[in-house]
Amino acid sequence: MAIQIYDPTTEVADRHIAFVRRPQSLKGVRIGLVDNTKHNSDQLLLRIAGILERDHGAKAHLIRKKKSAGAAPHAEIVEEYKANCDVIVAGVGD
Amino acid sequence: MELKSRRHTVSDLAGAIELCYTNGWTDGLPVVPPTAERIEAMLEAGGLEPGHELAFIENRQVSVTAEKVAINAVMAGCKAEYMPVIAATVEALADPLYGYHGPATSTGGAAVFMLVNGPIAARLELNSGDNLFGPGWRANATIGRAVRLVMRNVIGTLPGELDRSALGHGGKYTFCIAENEQNSPWAAFHTTRGFRADQNAVTIFAAYAPHQFSNRLSATPEGVLATACAHMKISAGSARQPQYAMVFAGEHQTIFAKAGWAREDVQRYVFENTKNTVAELKRVHMLAGELAAEDEKTMYTLVEQPQDLLVVAAGGRAGVQSAFIPGWGGKNGSQSVTREIRLP
Repeated sequence: MAIQIYDPTTEVADRHIAFVRRPQSLKGVRIGLVDNTKHNSDQLLLRIAGILERDHGAKAHLIRKKKSAGAAPHAEIVEEYKANCDVIVAGVGD
Repeated sequence: MELKSRRHTVSDLAGAIELCYTNGWTDGLPVVPPTAERIEAMLEAGGLEPGHELAFIENRQVSVTAEKVAINAVMAGCKAEYMPVIAATVEALADPLYGYHGPATSTGGAAVFMLVNGPIAARLELNSGDNLFGPGWRANATIGRAVRLVMRNVIGTLPGELDRSALGHGGKYTFCIAENEQNSPWAAFHTTRGFRADQNAVTIFAAYAPHQFSNRLSATPEGVLATACAHMKISAGSARQPQYAMVFAGEHQTIFAKAGWAREDVQRYVFENTKNTVAELKRVHMLAGELAAEDEKTMYTLVEQPQDLLVVAAGGRAGVQSAFIPGWGGKNGSQSVTREIRLP
């Protein structure tokens, strides 16, 4: 006899996400760096900022550390990024 | 009661089990096919409407509804009366202090350790004794399994995708125990979290595998704990100061009871006797940095404070074994959380 079973997975709901337009160039932009707390994360990000400033004309960088690698950046540093940065570099260092 | 999940029609029971495999819905073991009758019984036993949101997992932007939890609980092989424990656990997963995304995703490979306290544990026949972390009890085997299936199927914690455990461990199938409140030398664990002894509660903890130690040569608390501390001093996550659970089985429970040691005495002793020097932790590469002269005298504690040692009485009455369970990461990433189990 046929039986009917129910799907245990999350069914995807349509959702609109608004993205900020990507800059045409990095010239003159201020870089925000998200340190994820992992060992050497800051070293890697600062090197990236150096390359972006030296080779691509970015004018400044700001580095802040999250409270935990597994958590989203906390409100205070998000506000700092919003006030002082044009683009953000976020990555996982370990 | 209206269920909204997508339905699949199969020819027979074997076909249903196979479809669950084909669709990637299992942990590798066969599941019980989630039919309407079974799902509705689960929801009724939990006193829950299908659309009720038990948790919202912020990092994944996933809403976990009672209906999806009930479906996965059926698949895990749970009896309907287990549903309130599973619902409370799912609620706890979304607590920011637990920090779902970190321990669920990390290469560290933590499982969700569940400790059930209160009268419900005996009513559901949750094991708190022999073969504590092993097989043999339906409630222990299926309640933890249901939580893992919810993580997999509803929250997307799939091995190799958003579960990047390098090793993982057997507790990721199920890791659910009760405390032996009847024989414990101490008050029930959940009373240390503000609950009354007659309330039901579940404590969750992002945890590595149990590390067993034996001590048959000493009949004093200091002797038992000296062995424990020697094993714990350099253990998973040492330098990140996670919480640790310590699970003392029957013979060791008796030693603490005879000596009149309170839970706080155990916590204090272990806190004091698991310190390392910073130099030692640097030598074994658990702390970064060059060795400095002062490192030989600077002490570093295993946990931030004695209360971060979750002391539990459970395990067989006979035997000289107990265990410690290191937590995942550090307290800034995840902490143990206790929730009341509400009965309808």
